[in-house]
Amino acid sequence: MRTDAASGVRCEPEHGCITCGDEAVPLRVLRVDAERELALCANADGEHTTVEIALVAPLVPGDGVLVHAGTAIAPLPPEAVA
Amino acid sequence: MKFVDEFRDPELGRTVARDVLGLVEPGHHYKLMEVCGGHTHSIYKFGIDDLLPENVELVHGPGCPVCVIPMGRVDDGIALAHQDNVIFTCFGDMMRIPGSDGSLMDAKADGADIRMVYSPLDALRIAKQNPDKDVIFFAIGFETTAPSTALTLKRARADGVKNFFCMCNHVTIVPPLRALLDSPDLRLDGFIGPGHVSTVVGARPFEFIPADYGKPIVVAGFEPLDVLQAVRMVLAQLAEGRCEVENQYTRVVPYEGNLRALEVMAEVFELRPHFEWRGLGFISHSGLKLSEDYADLDAELRWPVPGVRVADPKACQCGEVLKGVIKPFECKVFGTACTPERPIGTCMVSSEGACAAYYNYGRFAREREVV
Repeated sequence: MRTDAASGVRCEPEHGCITCGDEAVPLRVLRVDAERELALCANADGEHTTVEIALVAPLVPGDGVLVHAGTAIAPLPPEAVA
Repeated sequence: MKFVDEFRDPELGRTVARDVLGLVEPGHHYKLMEVCGGHTHSIYKFGIDDLLPENVELVHGPGCPVCVIPMGRVDDGIALAHQDNVIFTCFGDMMRIPGSDGSLMDAKADGADIRMVYSPLDALRIAKQNPDKDVIFFAIGFETTAPSTALTLKRARADGVKNFFCMCNHVTIVPPLRALLDSPDLRLDGFIGPGHVSTVVGARPFEFIPADYGKPIVVAGFEPLDVLQAVRMVLAQLAEGRCEVENQYTRVVPYEGNLRALEVMAEVFELRPHFEWRGLGFISHSGLKLSEDYADLDAELRWPVPGVRVADPKACQCGEVLKGVIKPFECKVFGTACTPERPIGTCMVSSEGACAAYYNYGRFAREREVV
């Protein structure tokens, strides 16, 4: 099975599935495309992923977001993802 | 990592566990339901129930969307996946859910183009990369996931993508909770409310639980201390004769939820008159479908689907497990005919299913301190 590079979520019994576990991962915002409402984000290991940010915009680089299924569902303080 | 490490502090955990001991009334058996599959997973992964006294029982609720999907919907998905010129996309756990004649994984082995994705946005990307194919996204999940699907459908429209469709299986959390509370064979003292669903809908929708049913509910996060603290808060309400909605997960959950998420869901989805839940039957207004404005993206309108209701296998007792009436190991086929490798029921497939959690973490029998 593959691993989601950004979140580290693996769809295996011992790890967890994105939807069924209501899995949400804290990511740090690196770059924001405000017009397209997308952000490039990084996880704790520095792996990058593109995230939909329409629900939590505006964001600036350094902010934290809680991401579920590719969408930021809640803002987090920068220190949560420092 | 901040917000993780401090919520896994073993010393703090033992302190909260001692608080719990002080709140329980000897001789009274407490049954608390954790609604969300993520909580079930945390409880067994971190051994939280081993920290609780014998007379505090955690009952596992219906909060795993993959577990509650009925076989007929799997068959409908497989039928769509076999349509000509279609790429069918879904989340990983969905691939192994048995339909009446095999799973999506089996259909893939039979030649259907079925691909696992991690987000609806991934599915849209596949559609953009394959303009000569029709791409269907099998949307599943509670209110945590539904905004993601909604935003992707809006994006597909805004970007002029004509080959992206959605088979919508999104469900809502309040109707099944109400159905459970109306169920005569279930006695519960309180609830641990779903954390990330509440990020979207807020804690307010759960006010009916204390108001109409006189039960406390505490919305909780997913780290071990979150869950333990939520147990303590529910027991404190019971001990003090209070009954209200409390929010343990304030670092993420606003009481009113995410209004933008609710708006986008209201724009893209509308409630189905009823939706079938595995083990719970048909529940009114518990499922979402695409709204009229987005009907042209609805895969179920674009292609024919069987739409046949299929009864669960007789040996499988997922229904009773999902309602918290029996523990997974009390099911006749648990761990014998039904294992994560060869599941009969949905609760054994999904990692957040109660049966898989019991199986994977070896929770068959244990002795705990009797208070």
